[in-house]
Amino acid sequence: MRAFTAVVLINLALGVGAGWGYLFWGVRAARLERDLAVARATAVSGVEREWRVDGVVRAILPEIGVLVLTHGEIAGYMPPMTMGFRAASPKITESVRVGDAVRFTLRGVPPNVAVTAIEKTP
Amino acid sequence: MYALGLAVRFIHLAGIILLVGAAATLLLAGRSDRPTALRWESRVLALSCAVAVLTLAAGLAALAAQTATLEGRAAAALEPAALARVLGETQSGHVWLVRQSLLLLLAAFLAVRWDVDRGIDWRAARGEAALLGAAALVLVGASGHAAAVEPGTARALGVDGVHLLAAGVWVGGLPPLLLLLRAAGREAGADARPHAVVAARRFSRAALVCVLALVLTGTLNAATQVATVAGLVGTTYGRLLLVKLALLLPILALAAVNRRRHLPRLGGDGATVGRPAMRRLARFVGWEAALALLLLAVVAVMSATPPARHEAPDWPFAFRLTTASLDDAPALRARALVGSQMAVLGLVGLLVALFVGAGRLALAGGALVVLAAGAGLALPALAVDAYPTTYLRPAVPYQALSITTGAGLYRTHCASCHGATGAGDGPEGRRLPRPPADLRASHTAQHTAGDLFWWISQGIPRSQMPAFGERLTVEERWDLVNFLRALSSGHAARSFGAAGALERPWLVAPDASFAVGPTPPHALTEYRGRRIVLLVLYALPASRPRVTQLAQNYDILATLGVEVIAVPVDAAADALRALGAEPRILFPVVTDGAAEIAAAYGLFAAAPHTEFLIDRQGYLRAIARSRGEAGELNPLLAAIQQLNEEKSPPAAPEEHVH
Repeated sequence: MRAFTAVVLINLALGVGAGWGYLFWGVRAARLERDLAVARATAVSGVEREWRVDGVVRAILPEIGVLVLTHGEIAGYMPPMTMGFRAASPKITESVRVGDAVRFTLRGVPPNVAVTAIEKTP
Repeated sequence: MYALGLAVRFIHLAGIILLVGAAATLLLAGRSDRPTALRWESRVLALSCAVAVLTLAAGLAALAAQTATLEGRAAAALEPAALARVLGETQSGHVWLVRQSLLLLLAAFLAVRWDVDRGIDWRAARGEAALLGAAALVLVGASGHAAAVEPGTARALGVDGVHLLAAGVWVGGLPPLLLLLRAAGREAGADARPHAVVAARRFSRAALVCVLALVLTGTLNAATQVATVAGLVGTTYGRLLLVKLALLLPILALAAVNRRRHLPRLGGDGATVGRPAMRRLARFVGWEAALALLLLAVVAVMSATPPARHEAPDWPFAFRLTTASLDDAPALRARALVGSQMAVLGLVGLLVALFVGAGRLALAGGALVVLAAGAGLALPALAVDAYPTTYLRPAVPYQALSITTGAGLYRTHCASCHGATGAGDGPEGRRLPRPPADLRASHTAQHTAGDLFWWISQGIPRSQMPAFGERLTVEERWDLVNFLRALSSGHAARSFGAAGALERPWLVAPDASFAVGPTPPHALTEYRGRRIVLLVLYALPASRPRVTQLAQNYDILATLGVEVIAVPVDAAADALRALGAEPRILFPVVTDGAAEIAAAYGLFAAAPHTEFLIDRQGYLRAIARSRGEAGELNPLLAAIQQLNEEKSPPAAPEEHVH
């Protein structure tokens, strides 16, 4: 075989190899991204979910049935922050006072969630 | 084991460089039909093939050595499972696989005797060898220090790739050039002499380009991997780089002589030109190649040494140069000014001497004298004492916890002489012949953290400062350094009102860890680059009006990009309950970590109620002291607005004191 032909074939093979590897990589990355998007979507909407989270009561607004809580991470839903949550029943807002360290149960279809149970932690 | 690993690294690197250089030199020399030139070409190809096989073998051994290092036991070098782990799960393993495949392909390609009678076949065959070698050489960088640079990995890899390729064409081309010059320099090689002359001229031109590229990329590499003068002279990696540069100088001198003296005399025939010149050039190229091989050995050691930026520098001199020495000394300032002007004058004189014809020597001599006198005048004014640990980076970050630990250690070990407030007026200290240093003075902030660490560890013999290196652990001594830094900058912050350092940020806010209730702890540095922080040290009941005011205006503050963090100075665990339900306080109230924050920030201002404004870069920009009454909110809002409107935000301070 002539050197020129051989070199063209070798470079073609290398190019195809590199391209195939890149495509393989790209396809895998795209699949991972899709999986992630699906996981995110199911985390945000669809099925009803329940979490048990530690936090501390910052404010109580009984007239609109809302508790403002500083809470830890809510796995797959939200990072630690201070925000208001709807209380499922007036009993819940009555059972705690500002400054109480609590463990609360959050249930619902995100973003429509409510505190369904709350207990003081020492 | 270590030496063996270095040896195979060296062979692997030098082999690939030789392969690239050989292919490049063949391409540069071009085709020739002279028998001597053809013999040289086939010899270079045969040697290249042998080098390729040797490089492959060294690559295998290097993988074994790497596996043994990663697994932490020598036996792992021969275990298939361990080797497979390194190949499959590490980036350097993947790179190794691709590189060895390319080398295998190259070896096979070189082993085939291609028919290259036609020009296009010749070019294809030699070009392919160069291409495969270059790809393998660039991949050497992809498993080296450049691949670990974050951020800017791609840039570092590109710079390193160019560096390696330039080294390959220049250094790797020297041995094949030597062979050609020797073959053509023989009596019987006269037929190839014109070819050798052309090859040497083209090589010289290519080498010049390569050297320029090497200097440029080498400087960029050093800026990333070494970064500081202390890193250059104080770490193994930096010192190896100095050795490499020291080896490079004679190589460059030889190259310059070759280019300016020998190359022009190659053409023609005569007693001093032609063949004798070629033999002399061959000898010089031989020395150049030998030195270059030595340099590659240094590079191999460097590639197995952690880069300077990850190492603690060990400063080798008893002094360092800094303009900070001029801050409180007008006499020194004048001296440095005059000296530097003289030095500039001398430099200008030297430059002029390069261009004038008559009196060049006299002018250059005079300029040198002025330059030396200027340097002699200015440099001693800039020199301050330095110690081996001067440029050491603190092992403990500048954090509230470390500062309070340091404060406790200070009370136990230091206060008896330096005084409870650091003024140098302790009961024991008054009896000393030399009074202890006033640690609150601004000069404490001018010494590096490493200087303070040295004095605490080793003591100061001439002033009876004892050494604490035996009594305190390394971390405890760094805690003390952090406390001293907070103490002296806190003292400097006394002058600092509500409109404090709004113009020029200089006071670094110590980091702190805090938690609200049972939630996971946060660090103050998490707000860097995102929010301005208003750190409020409050005490009930006096502070209630002000805290109420802040709570009522929290929405405005939040809109302006401010997070309020309230710290009860009594560090009460039930701080939230104590504040009560009205008004609704929604900003973080620290229930865990408050004691450390109150103690550390208390060094910056002592008042019943203090508010610290920390900008997005982590600098303390304003301190407001009060008794906790609800005052005007507008000055605070104006200061926040000014921070928000800053055009070019100041650079973020380092996480450690310096």
